[in-house]
Amino acid sequence: MGSYEPKLVCFSCKFGWGYLNDEDALAKQIKNWVPIICSGKVDSSHILNAFRQGADGVLILGCRGGDCHYQDGNYEAKKRVYLLHKILESYGIEKERLRIELSIDPEGSRIPQLVKEMSDRIAKLGPVKKIGERAKTAAVV
Amino acid sequence: MWKTESRGIARAEEAVKQFLPPCQIKCPINEDIQRTNVLISLLPDDPNLAKEGIIQISDYLYNKNPFFNICGYICGLCELECNYKARGGAVRRRLLKRFLSDCYTDYLKQKEEFSIVKDKENVAIIGGGPGGLMCAYVLSKKGYRVTVFESSNRLGGALWLIPFYRLPEEVLKTTVDNLVRVAGIDVKFGAKLGEGKLTIERLKNEGYKAVFLAKGTPYPRVLTFDGEVVEGQDLSGVMYGHTLLYEVSHGNIGPNYFKGKKLIVIGGGNVAFDVARTAKRLGGDVTVVCLESEDKSSRDGIPADEEEISAAWEEGLKIIYSRGVKKIIGEHGKFKGIDCPKCTSVFDEKGFNPKFDCSECIDLQGDLLIITVGQVVDRAFLQREGLVDERGRLVVDPFTLQSLRKEQVFIGGDVRRIGFMVEAMKEGMVAADSIERYLRGLDMREGRKRDYEGYGLPLRKSYKPETEVVWIPPEKRMHFQLFERGLTLEEARAEAKRCITCGPCVSCKACISIGFEKSLYPVEVDRERCSGCGICVYACNYNAAHLIDTEGRILSATDMFKCKSCGMCVVACPSDARRLVEDDTEQRIAKVVASL
Repeated sequence: MGSYEPKLVCFSCKFGWGYLNDEDALAKQIKNWVPIICSGKVDSSHILNAFRQGADGVLILGCRGGDCHYQDGNYEAKKRVYLLHKILESYGIEKERLRIELSIDPEGSRIPQLVKEMSDRIAKLGPVKKIGERAKTAAVV
Repeated sequence: MWKTESRGIARAEEAVKQFLPPCQIKCPINEDIQRTNVLISLLPDDPNLAKEGIIQISDYLYNKNPFFNICGYICGLCELECNYKARGGAVRRRLLKRFLSDCYTDYLKQKEEFSIVKDKENVAIIGGGPGGLMCAYVLSKKGYRVTVFESSNRLGGALWLIPFYRLPEEVLKTTVDNLVRVAGIDVKFGAKLGEGKLTIERLKNEGYKAVFLAKGTPYPRVLTFDGEVVEGQDLSGVMYGHTLLYEVSHGNIGPNYFKGKKLIVIGGGNVAFDVARTAKRLGGDVTVVCLESEDKSSRDGIPADEEEISAAWEEGLKIIYSRGVKKIIGEHGKFKGIDCPKCTSVFDEKGFNPKFDCSECIDLQGDLLIITVGQVVDRAFLQREGLVDERGRLVVDPFTLQSLRKEQVFIGGDVRRIGFMVEAMKEGMVAADSIERYLRGLDMREGRKRDYEGYGLPLRKSYKPETEVVWIPPEKRMHFQLFERGLTLEEARAEAKRCITCGPCVSCKACISIGFEKSLYPVEVDRERCSGCGICVYACNYNAAHLIDTEGRILSATDMFKCKSCGMCVVACPSDARRLVEDDTEQRIAKVVASL
């Protein structure tokens, strides 16, 4: 348990996060990072698929409320996270494993920090069981 | 820090039939407003890095509009059509440009000259105002050897009549002087066409293959009543607003020049207000008298801008509406007062045709009368050169600006029709295009007419209130320094962020220019998968996704002109029928997920 390091997938909006920094340099500091043009472009299936493939957590970084370049993408993403929490819980995946933060950080220096903070919290929860396996276990019970 | 790229795929495209944001349609030169607003909103906090960004954005603007630093002080036409107007106030584009200008004007002094191979014909530009300089700029960049003939000893033309409290002398001078330097344009000062031996014929003989005539309106219009010139305009104490603005701009009038004097300014246009506010700053007690009524929305409403009127009012000027001048009263050759009948209507079906009720007259007494009722062209010169018809009107094709009397002569700017600075600039651009076509033997009209269509306000959850414009309080601004405060970096960024980028992507491409996106991905709909449910229509904030009826089946489609390639519809589609062609986001996500 002590050496367990959670696998986190991080999506971040390009208009709010890290646009002043070199993307490749940032990518070296952030594992499993996907900069994306708008947080509203992160599909529910992307998130569920990540959990299915063994992610222990998903962090979505959208731009500040009211700042979305595509009008309301960040708001859509927030709604989606809210709904997904319900679905994830029904699979037995704690809702702490999916998080959205709407803020701005042009340098992107907060991204590794936020990933670390979330990893630390998830480490306490332990590894996630893959969605498929949970379903199998549930069926056996 | 990002680096902008404006070539290749990042070039904002022009098309014959084009959708544009409404601000860019309103701007006579269709400046790339949306693109530069997006870039301003992404400027960094660090002032040095921000400066680097500002110069990149400004260089881009400068390429098309070498007057943009000046627009930032005095234009703002684009704001009249901003979609945000209906939601709390137009995006303050003028102040955003002034924000750029505050940094760029200094940079202009050391801006490197364009490297241009000058291998094309000699072209003469008559008049160094915004119209003439714009034409010279465009042609010079294309390799023509351009000479500007300026009658005075400085470039800028009528821009010099704008008081320094609105447009600082330094900004104007730096802009025009560096424009000719950067673009490699020759200037001959003190060269007045029509005086001495300098004629259009002579220019032709000297090897100038084309001429752009943009002489402006050098003379003030005299005051008339009922079609007759009002007598007494030669009295001592009567002057024209133009003369005053000209002398003030040359520094020939000292402070408190009008101290203790009672002045009457005639006129209701912006220039009249420039004159009145200038006179007030010189210590005078000023009353403005105009034909038009106070109600700006009516046909007979005062033409001056709302901002000018409220600023004048704040500064303690009196305004008397709906009055004409029937008589100028003098005593011993000196101005005493005016006789003002009530003006009952200014315009009728035929246009300007004021009617008066002479039974209701007031007498106004004063020490000085300043007439500012418009400007006129040098009619005698145009007649001598044979450019006018028998009624004295210019004979020119309004589309190409080519003279119908002399084919190598093109005419534009105020001399053709009095307008805003940017309208003269537009005419300069049109003339440059025409001159190029004329000299290259191309069709004068083909493919030039552009048809623009505006965009509506996109849907969003919330809209932000506008930034306040800050003016120095009236008691502290009775001088010729700027009275409006510019935006700080933080304010500029916030204001630029307010822009809802309602226009299409193809004319913007800000995201591509800084590498956020690789291209504008078109949306593709899989006809087999699409069920025609319409969820994409609901998800799209731009009215791009819509339903169509094909062969009895309802399918979804995307209007590529309105689409922003945001992918919101792709995410929303429950049947996975939509995708963005060539977008690698899916692959990037799949790659990360697969590596877990």
